[in-house]
Amino acid sequence: MSDRATEMPTPPALPTPTTVPEAVSPTRQTWQMFYQNRAAMLGLCILLVIIITSIVGPLLYTVPPREMVWMPLTPPGQSEYLLGTDYLGRDLLAGLINGGRVTITIGFAAAVLTVLIGVTIGALAGFFGGWVDTTLMKVTEFFQVLPNLLFAMVVVMLFSPTLTNIAIAIGIVSWTATARLTRAEFLRIREMDYVKAERSIGAGNSRLIWRVILPNAAPPLIIVAALSIGSAILFEAGLSFLGLSDPNAMSWGRMVGDNRPYILDSVWGVTIPGLAIFLTVLAISLVGDGLNDAINPKLRQR
Amino acid sequence: MTQNLLSVQDLEISFRTAAGEVQVVRDLSFELAQGEVLGIVGESGCGKSITALSLLGLVPNPPGRVSKGRILLEGEDIVTASERRLRQIRGNDISMVFQEPMTSLNPVYSVGEQIAETARAHFNSSRSEAWERAIEMLQLVGIPSPERRAHEFPHQLSGGMRQRVMIAIALVCEPKVLIADEPTTALDVTVQAQIFDLFRDLQHKIGAAIILITHDIGVVAQMTDRVIVMYAGRKIEEGPVSAFITDPRHPYTRGLVNCIPRLSLDPSDDPEPLFEIPGVVPSPSDLSLPRCAFAPRCRNAFALCLEKSPPLLPVAEGRAAACWLETEKPG
Amino acid sequence: MVKSAPVVKSVLRKIASILLLLLAVLVLNFVLIYAAPGDPVEALVGEMGGATPELIAELRATYGLDRPLWQQIGVYLGNVVQGNLGHSLYYDQPVTTLIASRIGPTLLLITTALFSAIIVGTILGVFSAQRRNSTLSHFVTVLSLAGFSAPVFWIGIMLILILSVSFPIFPISGMSSSDGTTSTLGYAMDVAHHLVLPALTLGLIYLAFYSRLARTSMIEVLEADYIRTARAKGLSRRSVVYKHALRNAILPIVTFAGLQFGQVISGAVLVETVFAWPGLGTLAFDSILRRDTPTLLGILFFSSLMVVVMNLLTDLLYRRIDPRIKTS
Repeated sequence: MSDRATEMPTPPALPTPTTVPEAVSPTRQTWQMFYQNRAAMLGLCILLVIIITSIVGPLLYTVPPREMVWMPLTPPGQSEYLLGTDYLGRDLLAGLINGGRVTITIGFAAAVLTVLIGVTIGALAGFFGGWVDTTLMKVTEFFQVLPNLLFAMVVVMLFSPTLTNIAIAIGIVSWTATARLTRAEFLRIREMDYVKAERSIGAGNSRLIWRVILPNAAPPLIIVAALSIGSAILFEAGLSFLGLSDPNAMSWGRMVGDNRPYILDSVWGVTIPGLAIFLTVLAISLVGDGLNDAINPKLRQR
Repeated sequence: MTQNLLSVQDLEISFRTAAGEVQVVRDLSFELAQGEVLGIVGESGCGKSITALSLLGLVPNPPGRVSKGRILLEGEDIVTASERRLRQIRGNDISMVFQEPMTSLNPVYSVGEQIAETARAHFNSSRSEAWERAIEMLQLVGIPSPERRAHEFPHQLSGGMRQRVMIAIALVCEPKVLIADEPTTALDVTVQAQIFDLFRDLQHKIGAAIILITHDIGVVAQMTDRVIVMYAGRKIEEGPVSAFITDPRHPYTRGLVNCIPRLSLDPSDDPEPLFEIPGVVPSPSDLSLPRCAFAPRCRNAFALCLEKSPPLLPVAEGRAAACWLETEKPG
Repeated sequence: MVKSAPVVKSVLRKIASILLLLLAVLVLNFVLIYAAPGDPVEALVGEMGGATPELIAELRATYGLDRPLWQQIGVYLGNVVQGNLGHSLYYDQPVTTLIASRIGPTLLLITTALFSAIIVGTILGVFSAQRRNSTLSHFVTVLSLAGFSAPVFWIGIMLILILSVSFPIFPISGMSSSDGTTSTLGYAMDVAHHLVLPALTLGLIYLAFYSRLARTSMIEVLEADYIRTARAKGLSRRSVVYKHALRNAILPIVTFAGLQFGQVISGAVLVETVFAWPGLGTLAFDSILRRDTPTLLGILFFSSLMVVVMNLLTDLLYRRIDPRIKTS
C-alpha cells in the first residue's frame, strides 16, 4: 500500500449508510399483502356469506327442501317462494340453502382427506427416498392415470351414495397433486442445514418429518389445500349431477341434474344452483390465488 | 488516435423501482479504439453488465432505459437507433459473450444451428453455406471433430465447450467489437486459462476490439491494454493497465489490487494478512446523497468526501481518477 | 453413438410400466367388487332382477366364484386378457362390444376439444405473455379463473340455453339428425354441426387451463438467458419468439396434455351426458341408472387404457421436441 495512506487522518464517524426498514415478521407481511388484494378479499367475503348462509340458513328458513310446496315450475318472484319451484314443486331457495350445507360439508371433508393422504404419502416418499419413494410414486402415478371421475363413480355406485362414501371417493382420487408437491418440498427441505442440525442432535424421523420439515413446507401446501376445496366441490357437483348423490340430502349438483330435462320450461332451475357452485368455487379460487400471491410475492406478475 | 471505433458519452441508465427511478449508471464516458482490449472492472452490482447490454440496445425495458447520453459506433448513435438498425448491429458489428454458458445456449437446437442462424441473420447465405461456416467457426474456437459436434445439443457439451460455442456465435460475423461479460466466472480454473488463450489468439486473427468485463484483477492484468474501474454506477478510475496494477490512485482501486493474495516461496516472508475492503457495495438507491459513493467504506475519507462527490480529473498522462485525495488535500 | 437403441429401450420400459398399471387397474376393480356390500355376482352381472338361479349358478362357475380368492383373480384376469370384460344383462351384450360401439364418438369429442384447446390456448398464452398488461392478458387471467371454477356440465347447459334455445343455431343434443339417406359429406357436416357445442363446452375448460399454462411458461422462457443470447445475435423478433421461445415453452404443455387425459375423459362423461352424445360417457351415465356394474367397470378399464396410450404418445412427442431426453 502506498505510504500516503498512513498520513491520513482517521475516518470520521459516518452515519449508517442504509436505513434499516422497520422489522415486519414474514407472516404479517403475507397477511398485509393478502388484505391489500382486492380480488382475494372479495372472494373471502363471498365465501363467508355462503358458509354462514349454509350454517344458519336452514335454521331460519325452514321450508322443507325435498317436499312439494307449490305449483311445479313456478318462475322466481311469482309466489311466496322467492326463487320459484322446480319440476316437482319443490322450493328452489330451500334447496339452495340446504344444498349449500351438503355441498360445502362434502367439499371440506373431501379436501381434508385429500390433504391428509397427499401429505402423508408425499412426506414419506420425499423423506425416506429409495424404495419407499419409488413404490409410493408408482402408486401416485397409478392414481394419476386412473380416470378420476369414472373411478369415483364406480366406488360410489358399489358402496351406495352416502355423504361419507362420496367424500371418501373424492379424497381417494384427488390426492396425487398434493403428494407430488409435498414430496418435492420434502426433497428440497431435507437437505437444508437446519434439518441436518436437528438430525445431528439426535432428532428422530417422526420429529423431523412432522415438527421440522412439514412446518417449513406449509406455505405452498396451504395454497393447494385451499384450492382442493374448490376442486372437491366441483367433483361432488359432477357426481351428484350424474345422480350419484345421497337420496336423503339436497345438493347443488343434484338440483342441476334433476332439473336438466326441464330446461325448456324452467331456465332458473338449472341456472341458479349452477351459479351457486360457480360462485363458491370462484370465491375459493380467488382466495387461493390471493394466498399464492401473498406467499410468493415475486410471482405476482404472472 | 483518429476517430474511435466506439465512443460512450455521458451515459446514464435508469431503472424504475418501487422507490422511484434509480440511476444504476451515471456520467459514464469512455472510448474504445480499433483492436484495443479494454477492461471494465468492479464488484457485482456496479453497473458494468448493464453497461454492456446498453451497447447492444438490450437494456431490459421496462423497467430500465438509457436516460441520458450517447453511444457512438463509428459515429452512429446506438441509443437512438431504430430496432431494425439495432438488429443489424447486434451480432454483426457488436457481439457479446455472456457469463453463464450453461444457460445461454438454447437447449432444443443443435449448436451448429445456433451458430449458423446468426450467420444467416446477417449475411444472405444459404442454409448449407451457413452450416459450413458454423463448422469452420467450431474449428476456429478449438472444438475437436467439429462436423460431428455441430450436430450435438448444448447439454452434450461441457461448460468450457459451451463457452467456446458462445464465442463462435459471437465471432461468426467478424464483429468490430466483442463484449465479454465475465466469460469465465462460471468455469473451472484450468478451463478459464484456455478460454483466455482463445480470446487472445482470436483477437490476433480477427482484429476485433474487445471489452472485457470482469472482477478478476489477474485477468485484467493478463488480457487488457487499458482499464476502467467502476464503482456504484460511476467510473472512478481509468488508465493503462500497467499503471493500474503498479500505482492505483483511487482508494477503491488500491483495495481491489491489494485483494489479490501473493504467493511467496520464501519461508522467511511474513505472510501478509489478506486485504479486504470493509463494508458492502451501496445499493443504487442510497446514491442520492451528494457524497462520494465510496466514502462510507474508505479508510481515508475526510469531511469533503461527505459533502461533495469528487469529479473525474486527470491525474497523469492518460489517467484519471475521481478522488478528492488526488486533487484536494484535506485541510 | 447408436441413436435408436436408448429410445427403443426406454419405450419398452414404458410399455412394461403401462402393462403394470393396467394390471393394477384390474386388480383394483376386482378388489372393489369383492369389498362392496352384496353378492359379487351382482357386481359382475349388474342388476339381478331378471337373472334366474340357473344363470347365477352358471355365472358363479364362469367367474370361478366357487374357488379360493386368488384363483378368482386369475380367472378374472384371464377373462380380461381374452377380451372378456363381462356381460351386460341390461343390454344383453358383452361389455367389450358395447364399448367398441361407443369409442368413436368419444374419441371424436375428446380429440376435437383437446386439440382446439391446446392450439388456441397456446396462441392466447404466447400473445398475452408478450404484453403482460394488455386486455388480452387480463382476458386470459379471467378466463382461466372462470374455467377453473365453473362446473363443466353447467357451462354445457348454459351454452344450450343460449345457442340452441334463445338463438337456435346448434342442435340441443345427439350426434346426428340425419335419417341415413344423406351422402357421406352431408352426414359429416351434420355430425360436425352437432359436435360444436359439446366440443366447445369441454374445450372451454381446457382452454382456460392451457392458455394460463402457456402464458406462465412463455413468460418464464422469455426471461431465460438463451433468449437474451438470441436477441444479442440480432435475430428478428419473430425468430426470437417463435423459434427460440415457443419451442421451449411448449414442453410443459405436452407434458400436461398427457397427464391430464384422465381428467379429460372425466369431463367428457359429464359433457356427453348433457348433450346426449352417444359415447362412453352416456354409456357410463346409463349404467349408473341401471346399476350395470360390469359396463361401468369395463369403461373404467378401457378409459385407463386410453390414458396410458395417450401418455405413451405424448412421451414420444416430448422426445422429439426436447433433445435432452434422448441421450440422458
